[in-house]
Parts: sequence; structure tokens; C-alpha cells
Amino acid sequence: MLLDLSEEHKEHLAFLPRVDAAVVAEFGRIAVEFLRRGANPKIYEGAARKLNVSSDTIQHGVEGLTYLLTESSKLMISELDFQDSVFVLGFSEELNKLLLQLYLDNRKEIRRILNELAPCLPSYHSLEWRLDVQLASRSLRQQIKPTVTVKLNLDQNGDHSTHFLQTDPATLLHLVQQLEQALEEMKTNHCRRVVRSIK
Amino acid sequence: MELSEYVQRGFQRLADPGSFDSNAFALLLRAAFQSLLDARADEAALDHPGLKHIDPVVLKHCHAAAATYILEAGKHRVDRSTLSTYLEDCKFDQDRIEIFCTEYQNNKNSLEILLGSIGRSLPHITDVSWRLEYQIKTNQLHKMYQPGYLVTLNVENSDSQSYPEISFSCNMEQLQDLVGKLKDASKSLERATQL
Repeated sequence: MLLDLSEEHKEHLAFLPRVDAAVVAEFGRIAVEFLRRGANPKIYEGAARKLNVSSDTIQHGVEGLTYLLTESSKLMISELDFQDSVFVLGFSEELNKLLLQLYLDNRKEIRRILNELAPCLPSYHSLEWRLDVQLASRSLRQQIKPTVTVKLNLDQNGDHSTHFLQTDPATLLHLVQQLEQALEEMKTNHCRRVVRSIK
Repeated sequence: MELSEYVQRGFQRLADPGSFDSNAFALLLRAAFQSLLDARADEAALDHPGLKHIDPVVLKHCHAAAATYILEAGKHRVDRSTLSTYLEDCKFDQDRIEIFCTEYQNNKNSLEILLGSIGRSLPHITDVSWRLEYQIKTNQLHKMYQPGYLVTLNVENSDSQSYPEISFSCNMEQLQDLVGKLKDASKSLERATQL
């Protein structure tokens, strides 16, 4: 599958052959940083002064590169397809190789970042438990009531939430049994077949 | 076990054959247990024809006293001998002591369950449901191809009678971690019960 690059995009990327390889590599680094943390105008200005071009040109160059890398990572295109897509830009062999390397090096990280953009529920972080035995209460003395107290830590979009919960021994065994079944399910023939056929 | 004067007087009155004949005594006793333990019981418990001849004020006093005593006895888990001793002190005759003890014994379990369920506790997990999905793509990321789980814990709040749910997603490793920890807890529980 080839990438479809718009005219505007190609224009922005046209800046890249005008600088040497080290700068392109640096732009690549800035591009991934941009994905992680957002744009940093000061970097653009610094680079613009050093290379004697406008700040806008730098910004477009970085954004163009970012878009190239994210689209390729999102679609998980093969090396060959990436090379063919970039070929239309008419860059030098050396630059093409550099871009491919940038793609392969950063693909995993970019996909990880893109995954965070998906709609999501709180996700499991960790669990701690404690075993307690209630011996008495205001309304009943001489009890022996075992309880399992649980601290469930969840993450959502960077926010942590903690839930304090409790359960009795019978329910605990039931929970373990049910969730073990859930894990086993992935190993069934049905699931294996589905995984094999969706590629 | 400390009982107020009001309760003691009411209880002693119950012992008096002049105020309560045997039949009335048995009826009142049953009404007291019923109003504590039977969720559907209402005022009509005291409306029995066998109790009609007794002054309603006295009836209510003795009913309240009996119920209070029953709760205190249940709370402290008194045994039969403590029960008999107190009843003797209140001047109950042997027959009535026998009836009381039998009725108490029959209802002891329900009483203890009721008393044990009063009180605050953390939200209690009652059940779990899960969903297994195979993630294919999002609009930001294609070709994901990984399994994902969605787990929902059903939770009950002791006081507010509300049933919130806690849902979260996790991948295979995280679910394995969760199950591992819960298994540790249950093994630890097993060991503790064998001590």
C-alpha cells in the first residue's frame, strides 16, 4: 500500500534535500519529540537562524516529516512500500535511505503514542490485597468473618484512580475461576482461527 | 449486658401470669421475634385476638422490652444458661423459661445473621464479567492485531444500597497479573484456615 502524499505535503518535504543528512536526522528526532510532547517554537527559531531560512520553512519541514512518519506507522506499511512512496519525491538515494531508517527506528514508538489516542476506558495498573478477619462489631460480638480487602489501581489518560474494595472468600474463588476462563479463551480453536485469518 | 430500667420493668411484667397468661406470653414472644427477623412484619403482629384483652400500652411496653432483650442477647451471643439465669432473676416460671429458650434457639441463626449484616464496610465485590476482543484498528492506528479484555466488577454498597460498577480494560499480561494476585490471596486464605 502506497502513501498518498498531497502537493502541499510534497512542498513541505522539498526542504529536506536542501540540508545535509545530519540535519535531516535531527529533524527526525524533533518530529518524534513533537508527537510525544507537542511543538516547541523555540527549536524552530534556533534552527531557522542556523540554516538561514524562515522559521515557517523549518516548521513545515518538521511537520511534513512528522506526517510522513505517522501515516506510515499508522498503516504499518512495508519497507518496500515506504521506499516506493518516498521515491515520488525525487530525493537522492542517500536521503531515501535515511528516511527509511527513520521510519523503521521510530515506528514502534510512534504506534505506541498513536494507541494512546484511541477511545479508552480506565486500564488496569496493579492490584494489592490484604486478608482481614472481622472479630466484632458494634452490633455483634465474637465473630469470625474473613474478608479480602483489595486496592485496585487504574490509569486513564495519565490519571491514576484507586478503588478500595472488599470481598468474601467464596466470591474470591469465583472471581479467580471466571478470570482464568477468560485467559483460557484465547487459547481455544475458535480464537486461534480468528487470529490466523485476520492478517 | 446492661438493660435500662424501662426494659427491665417491661420484661418483668411479661413474667407475671396476672398480666400475661401462658397463651398471651407465647404470642407476644413470637410477635417480638417476628418483628425483628421477618422483613415483612408490620404493626399487625400485635393485633392477634389472643392479645386483645391486654392494655395496648402494656402490650407495647412488653413487646419493646422483649425485643430489646432479644437483640442484646443476640449481640453478646449468650448461651442457654446465661439466658435461663436472667429469666429466673426476672421471676419467670420454668415453663416460660423453657418456651423462651426454645424460641430463642430456633431463631438464633437468623438473629446473628441480621446483627452481623449491620455496619459499614467497603464496597463489596459480588461478581465479575469479562469480554474478550481482538483489536484490529482504530482511526489513528491500523493493523493492531492484539487481544484485549474488558473486565467489569459488580459492586454492592452496604449502606446506600447502590450498585456501582467498576470497568477497566487490560491486555493479556495485565489480566495474568491480576489473576495471579487474586490466586495468591486465595492461597493465603486457604493456608490461614488450616492454622
